[in-house]
Amino acid sequence: MQSLADSSQLLKGVLDLAVLAVLADHDSYGYDVVRRLRETGLSEVGDASVYGTLRRLYQAGALNSYVVPSDEGPHRKYYGLNERGRKALSESTRTWSALTAALNQLLDGGSTKNGR
Amino acid sequence: MADETRQNEVARYAAAVRAELSDLAMPEREALLEDLEDHLAEVVAESELPLASRLGTPEAYAAELRAAYGAGLRTTGGRFPRIHRLVGAAAAQVHGWSSVQAVREYLPELRPAWWVLRAYLVVLVLAVILRGDQDIHPIPNPFTSGGVVEIIAMAVAVVFSIRLGRWASRRQGAESWPLRAGNAVVALGGLIAVGSMSTLPGWVGTPSSPGGMPDAFAAGPISNIYPYTRDGKPLDGVLLYDQDGRPVTVVANGNGLITQYPTAADGQPITNEYPLSQTTVDGSKAMPPRVAIPPVSPTPSPSPSPGASPSGNH
Repeated sequence: MQSLADSSQLLKGVLDLAVLAVLADHDSYGYDVVRRLRETGLSEVGDASVYGTLRRLYQAGALNSYVVPSDEGPHRKYYGLNERGRKALSESTRTWSALTAALNQLLDGGSTKNGR
Repeated sequence: MADETRQNEVARYAAAVRAELSDLAMPEREALLEDLEDHLAEVVAESELPLASRLGTPEAYAAELRAAYGAGLRTTGGRFPRIHRLVGAAAAQVHGWSSVQAVREYLPELRPAWWVLRAYLVVLVLAVILRGDQDIHPIPNPFTSGGVVEIIAMAVAVVFSIRLGRWASRRQGAESWPLRAGNAVVALGGLIAVGSMSTLPGWVGTPSSPGGMPDAFAAGPISNIYPYTRDGKPLDGVLLYDQDGRPVTVVANGNGLITQYPTAADGQPITNEYPLSQTTVDGSKAMPPRVAIPPVSPTPSPSPSPGASPSGNH
């Protein structure tokens, strides 16, 4: 039985947005995306979730990708936003802002209801 | 040493993840797992801890990957996904062995060689099928009537095969199953054709010789024997036997020659009487070859015996 407050469940819904936002900053490879999400405080995000999301966004045509060879360590596959990705990011950002605004109001103790 | 064990750990973990996802259809599965080894290598480079303590079990990793990739994942549509996964797990076990890993690494470099071989085998199999006779020989053979055709067909097939191979590899492992099935058929057919070749260059065919006897003592197929005496007189009606008393026979019907064997009193053909009487297809008698008889030394040299020493020194 999973708790409703399980933050990893909540995260799943917004992982696309988070990944797009990380890549909007600058192009990045899978593990770097994981690291940057963690640094932001999304410590519960699973590696495989990030990689799966990257692959899905790439397949959906929101990302372009290129391989950067490296002398030490593995070759890295970089991902970056293309036009479609940037559009998806701005749309998702709007949706997210509207959603959080509404939720914040709800969570603020039903001030809207009382105000009417 | 430590490096190698970590590499093995990555290989094992990756193989286990792949096995978990082996029920997915091919292009999606490859796409989904493309970054897997890179990811594991990053994790290994970052920390000494075992992969599983950082990423969870391979099963959990696979489940998370599947969930994050989400809808749009086609499975292979097999009716037995459980069996499919078991087979996948077994294959993953094998792939995890380091020797198999090593071979897998250089295998892709041999692809162009396979493309050329594939073309050769296709033409070989076609040649065998179209000729439809027993005499399977290596092609192209410029000395036969179809030689030029074989060479041209080979060139066309090689070009086509390479283009097909490059096209398929550009599609990143998405070789469709008809192509795979075609490859298998070509390989099998080629194997059968090569395996049943009786006349390899430098060999004398054995299976079709009348006595079933090996007569491999020459650079080409022997189709007749012309005996001569030491002073160069051609002999006729010479019966030849080998060290075990078996009649010596040759591949008498090669080169478009027809052989008429004399008949013994019991009605059986005599297959070892030389020279064989042969006619060409148009009915003319086969001419004996020009031969070079070694010159006869003027003084016959009797073998020296201890009793008759020419020096006479006693």
